[in-house]
Amino acid sequence: MPKPSKTRDLRLDFFRGVALIFIFIDHIPENLLSYFTLQAVGFYDAAEVFIFISGFTAALVYGRRLAAKGALYATAQIWRRAWQLYVAHVFLFVIFIGEVSYTATTFNNPMYTEEMRVADFLAEPYVAVVKALLLEFQPTFLDILPLYILMMLLFPAMLLVINWRPVALLVPSLMLYVAVQVFDLSLPAYPPGSTWYFNPMAWQFLFISGAVLGQMASRGVAWPRLVRAAVPVAAAVLAVAVVVRLSWTLSGLWPAVPGLFLKELWPVNKNDLSPIRLVPFFATVVLVAYYVRPDARFLRSAAARPLVLCGQQSLEVFCLGVVLSALGHIILSEVSRGVAMQAAVNGVSIGAMLLTGKMIAWYKAMDRAPAGAASSSGGAGE
Amino acid sequence: MTPHLLAVAMLAALVAAPLGVDAAAPDGCAVPVELQQIDVKLPHLAARLRTHRPVTIVAIGGASTAGAAAGAPDLAYPARLQKALAADFPDVAITVLNRGVARQTTQQMVERFPRDVIANAPVLVVWETGTVDAVRGIHLDDFAAALQYGIDLLKKKAFDIILVDMQYSHHTAAVIDFEHYLETLHGVGELDDIYVFPRFAIMRYWSEQNMFNFDGVSADKRARLAARAYDCIARRLADAIQRAVQ
Repeated sequence: MPKPSKTRDLRLDFFRGVALIFIFIDHIPENLLSYFTLQAVGFYDAAEVFIFISGFTAALVYGRRLAAKGALYATAQIWRRAWQLYVAHVFLFVIFIGEVSYTATTFNNPMYTEEMRVADFLAEPYVAVVKALLLEFQPTFLDILPLYILMMLLFPAMLLVINWRPVALLVPSLMLYVAVQVFDLSLPAYPPGSTWYFNPMAWQFLFISGAVLGQMASRGVAWPRLVRAAVPVAAAVLAVAVVVRLSWTLSGLWPAVPGLFLKELWPVNKNDLSPIRLVPFFATVVLVAYYVRPDARFLRSAAARPLVLCGQQSLEVFCLGVVLSALGHIILSEVSRGVAMQAAVNGVSIGAMLLTGKMIAWYKAMDRAPAGAASSSGGAGE
Repeated sequence: MTPHLLAVAMLAALVAAPLGVDAAAPDGCAVPVELQQIDVKLPHLAARLRTHRPVTIVAIGGASTAGAAAGAPDLAYPARLQKALAADFPDVAITVLNRGVARQTTQQMVERFPRDVIANAPVLVVWETGTVDAVRGIHLDDFAAALQYGIDLLKKKAFDIILVDMQYSHHTAAVIDFEHYLETLHGVGELDDIYVFPRFAIMRYWSEQNMFNFDGVSADKRARLAARAYDCIARRLADAIQRAVQ
């Protein structure tokens, strides 16, 4: 756990940057690189990292603003952030409509009538658009932003409770999470019959856990002894999880390798954030908190710098990643899915994401600096 | 990623050119050997065929089972399968019933099992599913649960089962994420020792060979091309069935 300090905890930026790159990679179906992302070795994937760190940084950043300028100002800031996320969601939705309606109208093959029902919403665009604006229409890959937006809308209230008594938020949050696991609660979405991809009633627990830890970190509360005591348990949990999950990946590649506990555990529920995903994730958090120090040298290295900047400009880089993965998917489907094309799509896209992080950081620094004295420290958004 | 043989086939197709194309397919529907592997047996069907008793097969599925795109019921894949099997087993009366209904999820298909499948007392059930689930974004574990429930119903009746995965077109593949649904379907098949006919991978191979290319084909010729595609699917499926009863 970091000490209270004015300097940014670069671990948050670095790991969120890595998560953004992984989300891009995993969003392209059959991407060879996805054999090397978290989802191939752990039961959880980059979505958990993203939501957890988002909760953590939100508590850190807005907690400070709450202390300095009061609840009203902090609320306004948080909702401004929610608004930015909302605008990004609408932007991505417009791109999605363009992509699907183009395919649906130019491709009329009688063999694929069922498949083309993916464009059904075009029959009633007025409903689809309204449902998208209400966050109820969540087509593929447009599913994590609605969760994030909802969390930010509720965050002012969460923040006040955390500041009063973290437990007063954490306990109800955990109870709701458990209720989802037991009673299979879900939030309805559009079209009728579907539900939110990331069930907010389950995933809120991860976001709030992050926020509570973020608030503790901002106050300098740390239980080094507790963390140290948890390390062996966490290591054991994670080791088992990795061995089991890796056996599944390997048995998919080489049938001779047995998939351990496949019958019992597969498929692992992502929508409701199954404990099989959550527990190994928390184990990872403990290990990272203990072994990766906030002042670790590699976080300041030139190699890590582009990822840190990506993590700091997470909204822009995330949106770019979603657009690039949709584009990459089309190129791999329509042109070629050979290794050379995969390398080109991944290389160009990841390069663009890293460059965008750098560019925005530079721009924000220029913007902030007094005329004539540009700082190179990079912007530090939420 | 979840484990399944498909990953092997996909990787093999990605990394290298196909290892070899079946020389015994002079019908113009050849596929690489790795897409023809079947290591599951169909014991009930095999017993029927050995004793020359009549065989009923139910083909349950969606629009591509109903086969309206080809223009006539006897051009849909189940009718073509019946024809191909009749040629393979001339001394057995084989009937393939078409129970394709468009626009149904796996769950909705399972709900019509009693009337459409079980009432016909088939020896083999060929179950084509997954498309609508992928299109509608049904949650993967709900999809897996519906599949498992349906399979358990059929197993209880001691029917042999073959699963058939989705159709491939590079246009639709670009806007629908089939990957996770394919993985789930193949994963369930593997856990239950049920053969999953890799229609998606086969059609993708054909697409890469520029077969059944509908781009620029006039409307009246599309039905004929669709009928040809269904016929090819039926022939490869008949091959798989033949190998599974040996």
